[in-house]
Amino acid sequence: MNDPAASPELLEHPPAAWPAREIGALYEEHNRAIYYLALRFLGDPQRAEDATHDVFLKAFRKLDQFRGDASARTWLYRIAINHCQNLQQSWHQRHVFATSDEAVWENSAARTDSPLRVLETKELGQRIQQTLDRLSEEYRLLLLLVADGELSYEQIAALVGQSTDAVRGKLHRARKTFAALFEQTA
Amino acid sequence: MKHHAKLSPAQAHTEQQAGAQETRQQAGQEFVSADELLRYDAAQTVVPPQIGERLKASAASLPPPRRPWWKNLFGH
Repeated sequence: MNDPAASPELLEHPPAAWPAREIGALYEEHNRAIYYLALRFLGDPQRAEDATHDVFLKAFRKLDQFRGDASARTWLYRIAINHCQNLQQSWHQRHVFATSDEAVWENSAARTDSPLRVLETKELGQRIQQTLDRLSEEYRLLLLLVADGELSYEQIAALVGQSTDAVRGKLHRARKTFAALFEQTA
Repeated sequence: MKHHAKLSPAQAHTEQQAGAQETRQQAGQEFVSADELLRYDAAQTVVPPQIGERLKASAASLPPPRRPWWKNLFGH
């Protein structure tokens, strides 16, 4: 885990009321990544807010079990993925895009290698969410994890319980499908 | 001196539309991949500050975390 003292903000505003200084540092460094994953995975800001709170609280409770052999980021992601998947399974709120339908997008003639053009950035979030909602849960998760930029393919593979080669192949198809579906939202 | 001819209503409307289109294109962006688009989206996302406040309240009731066994063993 990173040294809490490395955060200048924490040095200026130490979270004295929190049970441990490490907790504040953990939240400061990773809250955006975890909230963004929850937001785009669940597709609902309120549920994402609750999920982020619950994920960090779980992490704080298990802080003594964190051995430091994985990065704090991957450890938090593991908790977040389990939590969000459990929420999805128990609430049955997601309309899962059928594999056969998804294959249509993958085989479509859309120019998926062309740049993704965005004219109205204020609507960008809505378009991204609409696109992600139409992807399978697996593709959505892979795209969100690789978009973090701090995770290697090996770390992503470990998080989703698949081989690195399988992750590479699925990411290729996920990107292609995302691009085709994103064009549909324009 | 440059001469500006007066535009008919139809011409003015067309020019306004063209101007609006140009503005949108100036404001628009291109992303080379889904990864880049999602990274941009993540960077624009604001984490609601109330999460931190809720966590602070929730964490205050937690017992202090135990020192990890490996820290007891090896120090740090």
